[in-house]
Amino acid sequence: MSLEFSFYPGCAGKQVQKEAKSAAHAVARELGITLHPMPRASCCGAVSLRESKLAFSLAVAARILSEAEAAGRNICTICNTCLQTLSHANYRFKREPDVLEKINGVLKKAGVRPYGATIKVQHLLWVVTDQVDQKLLKSKITRPLKGLKVAPFYGCHNLRPSEIYESKAGDEADHLDRLITTLGGSPVSYSGSRKCCGFHVMLSDPTEMRSMVAKNCLDAKGEGAELMISPCTLCDMSLNAYQMPAEKVVGKKIDLPEMNFAQLLGASMGLDAAELGLERLHVDPRPVLKSKGV
Amino acid sequence: MAEKTYTFRVQRNKVTGDGKVESRWQDYQLAAEPTTTVLICLEQIKGHQDGTLTYRMSCRSAICGSCAMKISGRTRLACKTHVEKVADANGVIRVSPMTNQPILKDMVVDIRPFYNHVLKIKPYLQEGSETDTNVGRSSYDQVNHVTQCIMCGSCYSDCTMAEVSDKFVGPAALAKAFRFVSDPREGKKTARLRELSEENQMWSCCRCAQCVETCPKDVKPMEAIVKLRARGMQKGYVDGPGPKHALAFHGDIQKTGDLNEFTLMQRTIGIVGTLGELGMALHLMKKGKIPSPFPHKVEGVEELGNIYRILEENPLDVETKAKEVAPE
Ligand code: SF4
Ligand code: SF4
Ligand code: SF4
Ligand code: SF4
Ligand code: FES
Repeated sequence: MSLEFSFYPGCAGKQVQKEAKSAAHAVARELGITLHPMPRASCCGAVSLRESKLAFSLAVAARILSEAEAAGRNICTICNTCLQTLSHANYRFKREPDVLEKINGVLKKAGVRPYGATIKVQHLLWVVTDQVDQKLLKSKITRPLKGLKVAPFYGCHNLRPSEIYESKAGDEADHLDRLITTLGGSPVSYSGSRKCCGFHVMLSDPTEMRSMVAKNCLDAKGEGAELMISPCTLCDMSLNAYQMPAEKVVGKKIDLPEMNFAQLLGASMGLDAAELGLERLHVDPRPVLKSKGV
Repeated sequence: MAEKTYTFRVQRNKVTGDGKVESRWQDYQLAAEPTTTVLICLEQIKGHQDGTLTYRMSCRSAICGSCAMKISGRTRLACKTHVEKVADANGVIRVSPMTNQPILKDMVVDIRPFYNHVLKIKPYLQEGSETDTNVGRSSYDQVNHVTQCIMCGSCYSDCTMAEVSDKFVGPAALAKAFRFVSDPREGKKTARLRELSEENQMWSCCRCAQCVETCPKDVKPMEAIVKLRARGMQKGYVDGPGPKHALAFHGDIQKTGDLNEFTLMQRTIGIVGTLGELGMALHLMKKGKIPSPFPHKVEGVEELGNIYRILEENPLDVETKAKEVAPE
């Protein structure tokens, strides 16, 4: 069975966090997921564009959704914020026909195919845990985690507001926990698991942002975590690349390796470390993986 | 429905002489129907098992806002929460006081920090030049669902930013501020937006949407915050640290708060422009994490320009609106 998606990696996946994107492609290939490129898709604008130009942000989202719809596919992303932005717009288009009609009026005038509000916005994590045949997934795990204690960090934009998502969300979401178990690891329960990493206040409230990073990581470590994974390129950036700056703010060593879920999945499938971009991470997960023979 | 025995794992808190809080967990067993509220169970426990158990309550019907407490990981109104929904697989329900406010005893917290923040945004109509004397049918489109707030403090207790900063005014205060900014009768709308653009106000929300999820009255504080920011920028308040970040995220926007079409195109093609400080940039560069200033151009980019132009010429009102509450 082949699963076909229009792939929307998000700008971070295309640039700063490209290791998550190459890891996504690597695991998709192994699991029979086809990620088709979206050559016309622009940046979704995140909440920032919603704040500055609401109608424009909806039209930009409709244009992206329409490209996938024209190809007859659902969208698959690896960025929580893209997931939230596109899901939020899609949720409104499906429930507010008058809004969809207004936005489509603009698209038509601008020479863009109008959006029929028929497709779904999915996260690669959901595809892997809910749509891929779990037997196939298990058969690919050649280097199980042997009980490695892994902290799932969902990221707020993967979960809330729960009503907008087309999969389990909010406190019900359990995708990462299930994935960790499938990989042979043991999911760590800790208070930061569904909190925010502070990415969006990185510049306006830098100390607070770093405190959030530190709090989430230290909570996880306190519960015994040896590794943390997230489904989002932006969470990855906060929790990994900003972990050392966060240590300075709280005056404590953290030293918790964090990686994208697709990187860990790829590693336990025995895929090439270079393709997974493990060397691009500031807090290196390789020693702890090695200790379990991964 | 059949009764079931639940375990209430309740945090007992006592302030000691030196002002420290002594906490311990105490278990109480109680048989209840799945749809019995947590508050009724606490009443049973207090009445029949342990009279020393202390919490606030009054209306029992999600109106007064007194009974907010942490129940199985989230802040909820005890009188609006069914036991079965919050019990784990072993029938255990964890109960503890709200967070981000000092504990007084058991589940009772000092709500002053929360209320003082709300007071800061001047929670009343002010006289001034911007009072609209025409109040029409659609005038309360934006006000209505924010006025459902019962000041229970649940959102503040669960707020991620409040957890790391006691200066942040918090979700309920900002939702209330939005209620006054959008009330046609308010006379000082612009002055409010200016104040709200300062530090620790609307721009310090990290947009985690926890308050939207937590609020028992569907106030959706974060949605109100997003709308406040939009209104603030429209008024030209783009100088504070918050809006600067919003702008840095995507590129430069003209000072008036109007989007510059050229830079907007760039934003829309996408640059993750969050690399504010040089030190951080160097730290990221070590791992090759510096975005290209010339991202790949998407196909059909002129369509985005068209969309933008059309919307500038004919702006669309696509804001979410509260449902009209008409008398029966
Ligand atoms: S939300 Fe962020 S990562 Fe996603 S497309 Fe927009 S700018 Fe890029
Ligand atoms: S945790 Fe941070 S980066 Fe992740 S989704 Fe939330 S705000 Fe975005
Ligand atoms: S969205 Fe903002 S106000 Fe609401 S809980 Fe998160 S940080 Fe607090
Ligand atoms: S916004 Fe909701 S959660 Fe916050 S105080 Fe008001 S009613 Fe309570
Ligand atoms: S007792 Fe009044 S809100 Fe619960």
